[in-house]
Amino acid sequence: MSLVRKLKPDRNFTGVLVTLSILPIFGLTSLIFGISTGMYTLVGMVGLFGIYYLYGFIRTGNIAQLVICLYTAFFGYILFVAAGTGKESPFERIEFGLAYFLGLIFFGIVIIYLALTRKLKWRGREVFELAAEPIEDIGNGYTSRPRPVGKVDYSPQQMRSFARFCSRHLIALPYLTSKNVTLVPVKMGDEYGRLLGLSGDYRDATWVNFDVDGEVSVHIAQKDYLDYRQPLAFDQLCTSLGQVFIDFFGLYNKGEGVRAIDRMDELKIAFFS
Amino acid sequence: MDFHTAAKYASLLSKDYAEDIFRLLVNYQAISASEVATRLNLHIKTAQDFLESLEGLGIVSKEEVLEKKRPYYRYVLKQTRLTIDIDLDQVKREPTQSSLSSHIREREGAGARFTVARNEDYITSVTIWTGKGRDMEERKIKLTTPQGRFLYHLPFPKAEPLTIDEIMQKAGIDESLAPEILDMVQLLEKYNVIESVPQV
Repeated sequence: MSLVRKLKPDRNFTGVLVTLSILPIFGLTSLIFGISTGMYTLVGMVGLFGIYYLYGFIRTGNIAQLVICLYTAFFGYILFVAAGTGKESPFERIEFGLAYFLGLIFFGIVIIYLALTRKLKWRGREVFELAAEPIEDIGNGYTSRPRPVGKVDYSPQQMRSFARFCSRHLIALPYLTSKNVTLVPVKMGDEYGRLLGLSGDYRDATWVNFDVDGEVSVHIAQKDYLDYRQPLAFDQLCTSLGQVFIDFFGLYNKGEGVRAIDRMDELKIAFFS
Repeated sequence: MDFHTAAKYASLLSKDYAEDIFRLLVNYQAISASEVATRLNLHIKTAQDFLESLEGLGIVSKEEVLEKKRPYYRYVLKQTRLTIDIDLDQVKREPTQSSLSSHIREREGAGARFTVARNEDYITSVTIWTGKGRDMEERKIKLTTPQGRFLYHLPFPKAEPLTIDEIMQKAGIDESLAPEILDMVQLLEKYNVIESVPQV
């Protein structure tokens, strides 16, 4: 397995920025309205994160999203209790201290495990790297048109089941219609915009579409194409991206979906990338 | 009758005063432009131009009359029935073997934007930029479903070009629809969206 990256290094700061934005907001509200109001504001923001991850779990079925949601609920509750104690430190109460530290240890271990095993990671970069792996020719030729890449034999039920597999493992976000199953690979940092519908129409993003007749077509967004270090032969890249999903589908159909995950894990792409 | 001649007929017949002039022509043995103008309260130039156009189309004939003053023309109606007959088959683009065997693909850097149908594998419209500099304008071309399916299967820039016939087969388009496909190909070639690749 080649570890030569064909994508540019990830410099997308959006994901971290969204999380870090909590800190200055907390600091400012504390400074202006006092620590208690600051804490309640923090509870509100943690609550919003919780709702986002709950929605993420409902939309994708990814258990790790639910864990984060539960963690934000726990953390939000602790903050809420702490905010209500006024000037008295809540940690002076042994029950509060115990609940806080035990919860922190539990969720800390679980979240670190989820991070290390990449169960929380959106796999867009892995998908794009896998698609580019066999492409050696350079030559640009970008077009905004989708490319029909082949035909596969499957039932719509099988396809929907595969789409659920892709979303559960954050390989791609599925969009289902009566005639199509469209899979949109999402890179880390882009998940907020894509999940919340702030990134525009999914048809403008990179996608792999499976229609009811078995036709597979691929569209690569210019933003994603420009993310490659070199102008790879676009025609081949589209075919290869379609083939990645066709291969994944084949593995999943044989009950070997985990092999698809293994292929992505072997790329050893950093968790936040 | 060709389109150009029919358009001239239609243009003349659409004038407000056309019926009145024809009424004079059919009732008078011969009539001059100034007589028409004074009779219908038109400018002499308007009457003159109309009669000259009729003469150009062979509907009236003119004869020069010489009196004491300078010579002028009198117009005589040659036919009392006007028929506009256009054979639309003459503008139909019948596909030839050579036109269908031309190898094509999308041109690199065409700058066109393609809109894909939401639930089907075809392209609904192509948006291109026409003109240059500050006169550049966006132009959206809506496609028929067969045209959209054809464009969906058009080879990418730098990909191996295919013949129009091969692309039609890939897209499952019936041969009888070739004229509308050729029309679109010619249009997109004109706007540098599609390129013909000569085969050695």
